[in-house]
Amino acid sequence: MQFSHLPKTVVLLSSLAILVAVPWIASDYFVMMCIRVMYFGMLTLSLCFLAGELGVVSLMQASFFGISGYFIAILQTRYQISFPIPPLVGIGVAVLFAALTGLLVIRVRGIYFLMLTLVLGQLVWALASQWASVTRGDSGITDIFAPVIFGISTEKSKGAFYFFELFFFCGVIYFLAALKRSPFGLMLRGIRESESRMAMLGYPVSLLRYMAFIFTAFVAAMGGVFFAYFTGLINPHSVSLTTNVETLLSAILGGIQTLFGAILGTAILKILDVVLSGITQRYLLIMGILFLITIMFAPKGAAGALKRLWDSVVSRVFGSAAPAKGATDDSFLEDTK
Amino acid sequence: MSFLVIMSLLNGLTLAALLFITASGLTLSFSLMRVVNLTHGALYMAGGFIGLSVINLTGGWLLALLAGGGVMAVIALLEEKFLLRWARGNDLIETLISLSVAIIIGDLVLVIWGGYPKTIEIPAMLSGIWTIPVIDMVYPIFRIFMLGLAILIIVALWFFLKKTNLGITIRAGVDNFEMVSALGINVRRLFTIVFCLSGFLAGVAGVVGGTFMMLVVGEDWRILTLTLIVIIIGGMGSLGGTIVGALITGLIYSFATAYIPEFSLFILFLPVAVILSIRPQGLFGKKV
Amino acid sequence: MKRKNWIVAITVVFFFIGALAGNAMALDEIRIGTIGPITGWATIFGQGVLNGAKLALDEYNNEFNGVPIKVFSEDTKADVEVMRTKLDSLKNRDKVHLIIGPSLGHEGMAAVDWGARNPEVPMLIGYSAPEDITMRKATFSVIRPGWTGAQVIFNFGQYCAKDLGYKKIIIVGQDYSYPWDQAAGFIRGFLENGGQKVERIWHPVEAVDFSSIMAKLMGMSKEYDAVLNNSGGAQVVGFFKQWKQFGLDKIYPQILGQANVPIVSMLSELGDSALGVYSSLHYYDGNPSAANQKFRASFKKKYGHYPDVIAVQGYDAVHVAFKAMKAIDGQVDDPKKFIAALRQVKMSADESPRGPFYFDKYANPVQNIYIKKVVKKDGQLMNEAVKTYKNVSQFGPYADIADKYMAAPATTRDYPPGDKASYFKEIEKYFGKDYVEKLEKNNGWVD
Repeated sequence: MQFSHLPKTVVLLSSLAILVAVPWIASDYFVMMCIRVMYFGMLTLSLCFLAGELGVVSLMQASFFGISGYFIAILQTRYQISFPIPPLVGIGVAVLFAALTGLLVIRVRGIYFLMLTLVLGQLVWALASQWASVTRGDSGITDIFAPVIFGISTEKSKGAFYFFELFFFCGVIYFLAALKRSPFGLMLRGIRESESRMAMLGYPVSLLRYMAFIFTAFVAAMGGVFFAYFTGLINPHSVSLTTNVETLLSAILGGIQTLFGAILGTAILKILDVVLSGITQRYLLIMGILFLITIMFAPKGAAGALKRLWDSVVSRVFGSAAPAKGATDDSFLEDTK
Repeated sequence: MSFLVIMSLLNGLTLAALLFITASGLTLSFSLMRVVNLTHGALYMAGGFIGLSVINLTGGWLLALLAGGGVMAVIALLEEKFLLRWARGNDLIETLISLSVAIIIGDLVLVIWGGYPKTIEIPAMLSGIWTIPVIDMVYPIFRIFMLGLAILIIVALWFFLKKTNLGITIRAGVDNFEMVSALGINVRRLFTIVFCLSGFLAGVAGVVGGTFMMLVVGEDWRILTLTLIVIIIGGMGSLGGTIVGALITGLIYSFATAYIPEFSLFILFLPVAVILSIRPQGLFGKKV
Repeated sequence: MKRKNWIVAITVVFFFIGALAGNAMALDEIRIGTIGPITGWATIFGQGVLNGAKLALDEYNNEFNGVPIKVFSEDTKADVEVMRTKLDSLKNRDKVHLIIGPSLGHEGMAAVDWGARNPEVPMLIGYSAPEDITMRKATFSVIRPGWTGAQVIFNFGQYCAKDLGYKKIIIVGQDYSYPWDQAAGFIRGFLENGGQKVERIWHPVEAVDFSSIMAKLMGMSKEYDAVLNNSGGAQVVGFFKQWKQFGLDKIYPQILGQANVPIVSMLSELGDSALGVYSSLHYYDGNPSAANQKFRASFKKKYGHYPDVIAVQGYDAVHVAFKAMKAIDGQVDDPKKFIAALRQVKMSADESPRGPFYFDKYANPVQNIYIKKVVKKDGQLMNEAVKTYKNVSQFGPYADIADKYMAAPATTRDYPPGDKASYFKEIEKYFGKDYVEKLEKNNGWVD
């Protein structure tokens, strides 16, 4: 069993080193893409966690993403309140909103859950778009400056921003992975399998779903903080149906069941965005077809495909010494059953 | 003030007519197949554009209406036969498939007809305004026609579902799916027929809507959102519920736009959220 | 160990991203980036500018003094987050010497933000019209060979009050900053030259049905003289349609339009319902000048349809760039020099389809504003100028008190107020009593 861990250790350590070294060894453009993938990634992670653990698709995660962004925008540009209060308030309000809407949302399942979250997301969008006196309507709010941390300006230095975000990004992943592995995660998956059985066994089903919803709202709101700081602006598009659908798209492409899939899917979508726009105007058409193909033929997404590849490579190299399938309790890469 | 009230009432009614025609198809497909066909908005838009092309070629509005509906029925057929059927049983997957088809159709429309907004001319016979007796107010004839068309479709659907064999079978399938298939009826064919019908209705709605408002890329998502609101309020799977849902939605939209246009969207979404959480099956839907 | 697989995974993802990082660019070429919405609902605003720019580049054979010009065309999808990313990639990956764009209002505001933080790349703003881009937020590297929402409409308000004799007007528009700017500019011109009241009705940017608004307009017809449609794109089509449906064309005189209403691309869809529509802009398609006729003819030849003002922006931007490049002998890799030269460019009536223009100190053009009317000529709908106001800057009639103008509150959906009494209170407060006295003495603005 020791053998099979060796390549993993090596890859792990070098990966860690590379992640940290990115701002020095990679181009400015590459760092920017990583930053973007991270904040959108948190949004996608929030959707994937709910889908993977509870089996529900939420089309309103962008609402939490945008709410925290809006509060940062308003507090910083209109009231000149400085870091770290705006992001704390932003995330706080988003979580509060989740607590409120959660009461409505936990009462439905399946397709009704999807539709209710779609409508609620649209409600937030309508508010952002029409309540011009607060949100400046469709024009949005600009002039958001990223904070100065430990004397280093994350506004001026992309590298500093990268680390700032990377820290919280890893934190979020660790948090979600821990949740997945905990009894809480087990209970959620139990609900996903059979809600009635869980209820009969005496588990507080509604409370569990409620908490999951709030936790994921927190994650999405965290993404919103970095989105607002990096782009320097916020507008209703961030909470629109388009953004929610793109998040879903990222999740499906990468693999809706795993955390790794969320990040991979986000990366794929954002890269395709850049690559395709240079070649063709038919971005939407290609994304639609890709979406369709993935749903029909690769329901585990790209992450699932990569995992199969990895497994086959490992088993070929190590034969019987390879860990048995499912033996690893890896909540990040595994689709926990 | 009462002038505005009466006008808003009329506007709400006629908008409800359009919403009903659009939503009836969605309700039908959901009631039998438990699929929320997110392609519906795209079918509306594509149907409208097909109608536009037909009118540009032949000048016949009625022909455009039938063509729009007909072509969409075919597309719905293809979608059901080759895509949705493959995922039968898994509502979520089917819904996601319909979403991807919506995105694809949306871009294809942009490729074929371009990004500039277009509109279909109101046929001469239906244009102009009419002075309504008693209240002595003027109102566009075409909008009154839309009301009439909606009523016609309601009657036709009612007749179809209540009086014809096929209709009765469909209703039986909605109520008790297993029993119907156990009786040896080809349920698959039933699904396909219903789906085609819903596509047809979407296409027709698109031509009517394109005549009454405009045709432009992006209309698919706006219409889809409004349609979802209608069937969520009214209850999915209930035609009567769709009528009520359309009325409520149309009236709220009209009054809100008249009196507080700046918050009209918000006012529209609020009742939906409330209903979905208190009574997810809608006002007249069957228990979830 | 099993826990930490996520680090591996993240790295895999980042490597994946890295694989597509750009390469170093070749030297000895001039790189121009264009940015705007090329897909999605706002396509016409982005594609139009791009088409105009490409036409102009063709006139120069896509080279300057033998140095080839490479164009990098980026799509914002009308999303500012995407735009910001593409701006960064144009600068860092493609290393462009100049950026032409963007087109939409909110894009422009975000772009000037980016320009302030990235002063090494000159930006020629395409179609974006918010005034703050070249006023309160003006920055050295951002030049706008375009217009502001208020600039093109101040005189229209004046014209409607003085020449058309209207006293009360309703403005129906999409609820976002660009129509707010247009309404504000119109109100200033209207109320300061004899108008009494302007009522603003705002509707969602993507309104589906205007029937309730039509009903409202019907009810207001006794008190108000005319209606101004303050929207763009599909909304205009819907508005005009339902205007006719409800018989409002019989109640009110012609519709007044904001800048985006009777542009060439709209006219083909509006058809005869657009006849008689008044509007104002810094360009009119019926301009008989040689520059405009040549522009229209070659555009039609290349693209198969006539150009509108959106294309003029791209076309003019390239010509401005070339004039600047000539002045500095092609040294585009000295951004400070290039930007300074750009700001000094002057275009004559023979060089630009819109007429003559030069940049004010905030890098916005001082140009002609035309009051135009839609007429039918040789079976085709087009805009003819009925009055021309020369040398209008973005400050319009407030050029002498520009600082006071900028110190006044920025435009919102309700500011400045639409009734004469409150409005005059505001201008007395911000522009001073002598300004008001001058207005009253001259009965409005001096032409």
